[in-house]
Amino acid sequence: MKRTTLAAIALAVTAGLGLTGCAGAAGPAEPQAAEGKTRLTVSVWNYEGTPEFKALFDSYEAANPNIDIEPVDILADDYPQKVTTMLAGGDTTDVLTMKNVIDYSRYANNGQLQEINSVVDKVGKDNLAGIDAFNMDGKYFAAPYRQDFWLLYYNKDLFKAAGIDDPKDLTWEKYTEIAKKLSTEADGKKTYGTYHHIWRSVVQAIAAAQNGADQNSGDYGFMEDQYNTALDLQKSGATLDFGTAKSQKTSYRTMFESGQAAMMPMGTWYIAGILQAKKDGKTNVNWGLAPMPQKNDDGKVTTFGSPTAFAVNKNASHSDEAKKFIEWAAGEEGAKAISKIGVVPALQNDAITSEYFKLDGMPTDELSKKAFTPDTTELEMPVSDKSAATDKILNQEHDLIMVGERSVSDGIAEMGKRVTSEVLGK
Amino acid sequence: MEERPVTGAVIMTTETIPQAPAPVQSRGNRKQARRNTLIGWTFILPNFLGFLAFTLIPVVAAFALSFMEWTSFSAPKWIGLANFERMFASDSFWIALRNTVVYALGHVPLTMALALILAMLLNRKLKGIGFFRVAIFFPYITSLVAVAVVWNMLFSPDSGPINQFLGAIGIANPPGWTSSSDWAMPAVIITSVWRDMGYYMVLYLAGLQAIPTELYEAAEVDGASAWQRFWNVTIPSLRPTTFFVVVMLTVSSFKVFDLIVVMTNGGPGRATTVLSQLIYQEGIGEGKFGYSSAISLVLFIIVLTVTVLQFKIQQRRER
Amino acid sequence: MTNMAEDLKAEAPFLTPGAPTAEDRRRTERKRSPREAKKRTANMVIYGVLVVLVVALMVPFIWMLSSSLKENNQVLTVPIQWIPQEFVWSNYTDIWTRIPMMGYLQNSLYLAVIITCLQVLTGSLAAYGFSKVRFPGRDVLFLAYIGTIAVPWQAYMVPQYIMMQNLGLTNSFNALILLQAFGAFGVFLMRQYYMTIPDELCEAARIDGLSEYGIWARVILPLSKPALASLALLTFVNTWNDYMGPFIYLTSNRLWTVQLGLRSFVGQFDAEYAMIMTGSVISVIPILIIFLIGQRYFIQGIATSGMKG
Repeated sequence: MKRTTLAAIALAVTAGLGLTGCAGAAGPAEPQAAEGKTRLTVSVWNYEGTPEFKALFDSYEAANPNIDIEPVDILADDYPQKVTTMLAGGDTTDVLTMKNVIDYSRYANNGQLQEINSVVDKVGKDNLAGIDAFNMDGKYFAAPYRQDFWLLYYNKDLFKAAGIDDPKDLTWEKYTEIAKKLSTEADGKKTYGTYHHIWRSVVQAIAAAQNGADQNSGDYGFMEDQYNTALDLQKSGATLDFGTAKSQKTSYRTMFESGQAAMMPMGTWYIAGILQAKKDGKTNVNWGLAPMPQKNDDGKVTTFGSPTAFAVNKNASHSDEAKKFIEWAAGEEGAKAISKIGVVPALQNDAITSEYFKLDGMPTDELSKKAFTPDTTELEMPVSDKSAATDKILNQEHDLIMVGERSVSDGIAEMGKRVTSEVLGK
Repeated sequence: MEERPVTGAVIMTTETIPQAPAPVQSRGNRKQARRNTLIGWTFILPNFLGFLAFTLIPVVAAFALSFMEWTSFSAPKWIGLANFERMFASDSFWIALRNTVVYALGHVPLTMALALILAMLLNRKLKGIGFFRVAIFFPYITSLVAVAVVWNMLFSPDSGPINQFLGAIGIANPPGWTSSSDWAMPAVIITSVWRDMGYYMVLYLAGLQAIPTELYEAAEVDGASAWQRFWNVTIPSLRPTTFFVVVMLTVSSFKVFDLIVVMTNGGPGRATTVLSQLIYQEGIGEGKFGYSSAISLVLFIIVLTVTVLQFKIQQRRER
Repeated sequence: MTNMAEDLKAEAPFLTPGAPTAEDRRRTERKRSPREAKKRTANMVIYGVLVVLVVALMVPFIWMLSSSLKENNQVLTVPIQWIPQEFVWSNYTDIWTRIPMMGYLQNSLYLAVIITCLQVLTGSLAAYGFSKVRFPGRDVLFLAYIGTIAVPWQAYMVPQYIMMQNLGLTNSFNALILLQAFGAFGVFLMRQYYMTIPDELCEAARIDGLSEYGIWARVILPLSKPALASLALLTFVNTWNDYMGPFIYLTSNRLWTVQLGLRSFVGQFDAEYAMIMTGSVISVIPILIIFLIGQRYFIQGIATSGMKG
């Protein structure tokens, strides 16, 4: 009897505690839009952990006191799934953030976004990096506010300790050579010359960019050299093997920030991350930037990147306000707001770049500055209605090649066969 | 609870589909039947209304979608069996189907057997037995991410303890586990059995509690050994629970999703891609809702067939 | 096989009326000693097996615990570090301010309690209808119930969402409650359990003049405590750990549950694994408490389910 009353009391207490949650205990109720203010809803991911949104919204609200921006916070992991579901249900969120180009092409092809040629023209196509990605037969359905591209992070101290010069004008051969030299093992602790993350872009997108090839084509012979390089690095122990990295969800931040990897090809978004980590004292890596290794050493840098953009929902409740916001965000003001926190804006000009390098903790050597201005930045994945399906197939085959289940030539052949038959329908 | 002598009870508990009392007269029977219908429905109604509105109708709608093409923005377009033709011609579908069946064939018997063994082990009044029960349930409540990371580490081909152990006992080429197409699925099955056996142990524990001790006493008086008691008292008395466990295990095995995604994400390649994953990728991932609904319809038919078979087998055993 | 039978027999000599003589006692003690010793060794063996089992089962949880005390960039190291280099206890204080963890816990608790209560109530009611009352179409309807369990949620997620959106229920707890409180799982579980309860009990109660509802409340329910406990427990755990449902239907941050809160540490390109593990450890505690409370019913079940007399 005593036990049941105890259990009953415990249950009542927990129920009581829980019932206070019935109106939503994790925050105040949404404030209604103040008198005269227009409420603009913008879909974002991870609002707390992605400071660029707050930076943009705060600046915009300061410049436009009659607008109240309300972020629709969606978890980053499944962001596209939720947006797809919301749109399927006829959601009226005004501005939709396009997390990547593949999703953009799907929503645009479905007719779920409004055409914003006027916005793009006003901002000016010439300086907007990545704007071509959003061009669908002359029509633009989104405008990029942020452009990330890939470059090489390297650990200056490890380079100095091994007596190797800073990685200037690297070819892939030189890169492999240096990586092997920098791989050491001391007291059972391994230091890798480089770290290649498990994303297929690390091999496929750079190959496509530097060979001027199309990843939707169904013909993937151009990837052969890059795969051979990647597998060579793996086999010689110069980088962590793919199987381990994938199954143990290795974090690229851990690898670089703990000094376990001397080099790391990665996107520019990581700059904000490592700046913060150093400020918080979570790492003491003396880091620098260098351009991605190239096919030859003539000094011209080709890399790949991906823009992040804002689009207007076809069912938006405040279309005009939405378009005005996008114009601001993609333009000079928005670019200034986000470069202050280390995020690379899509709008590129000298003023913005020099502002960027004035950030506290940025490496200011010439090599880093050169890395920041690549000559050509190709799209990580072309925009097409075939991209999503192709991406899936390429990912699966990438897995098999990197764990050694398929030889490079077999894997590439299989990729081509599957894409041609399943996606291109030939 | 009312205490009353129920003499026939001891024998009757071994039958699991009880027979209704024989109808007495035809006129009274019809009135009784109508009363029964009314009463039956009032019991079912609260649950059924919610079920109908929020589960049954969307499910039917989803099945209807499998004959249409729908990009979620424009109106759905009727295309008859085109989705099914596409599905049966698709490599990925057959691979996913095969993987799902293999997973179910491995997961169901292993989990069931282990859950039963554990339940019997823990169905006793030992000091601290509560602690052990909680511990067995732990894998089910541990974060999936933690489960995936640790098991992947255990399965690591070069440095993992499992392969080191296999090497120590003389196995020359230990399997590549989650890095190999052939062994990824067994690795996933092992992890999922480890995870689920606590969950189903709870169900078996409840079932074991329902077995009255008089049955065991009677059997022991008759001179039955422990094994005979297990086979002739425990197993038959557990039939409804076992049926429930088998059906739920089968159904959930065919629907497996979370563990696969977190552990291998369907890889390497498509070695562990299962049907639920395919449905998700095609539907929410690529926006082809008609096609993904067609796959779900096929999955549903397969699972329903298996469940009805299990139903029939159980009914036959009762006769 | 329960040891209750053994216990009962062991206690029997002491329950008989009339003081046993010293001779009797010594005789029974001598007879009991070897059995006692056998039982003790059997118990030691069982304890041993259980301890080994438990350690094997707890390994990922130990990793979780250790990760929760590390820095984010120390969690997914290769090779795995079982003991943190430095213990970051501040994770456990930071998490309450980094995300509104308390609020998320309350939300999860609210949802789990309401859904569990509704599921147990409606499920046991419906199960009685499906097992103890005969009416036409009963078995076909039941098959339809089980059938829908066979459909993965990914399949009908979108039609369901559209329905909810049209009812204006998105971004509210009510959507989730309506979706999950009326599941087929509870009905199925309770029905199977009720089928082990002999109809004679119901008959006898009917003869006594109890209505069907009375039978359900006064006869069936008390007999099915283990099943009710297991249904409540499993429903609670499943609701507590549910991610996709709250993800799709709870947009406002103030409504988020613990699982959503934990995933908010997963950024676009990286994740704060230490914080995720810290949150996971905290979120496991309520389940442990509920389980510890609930599993007592599995012992009580032995005492009340037997038809003594």
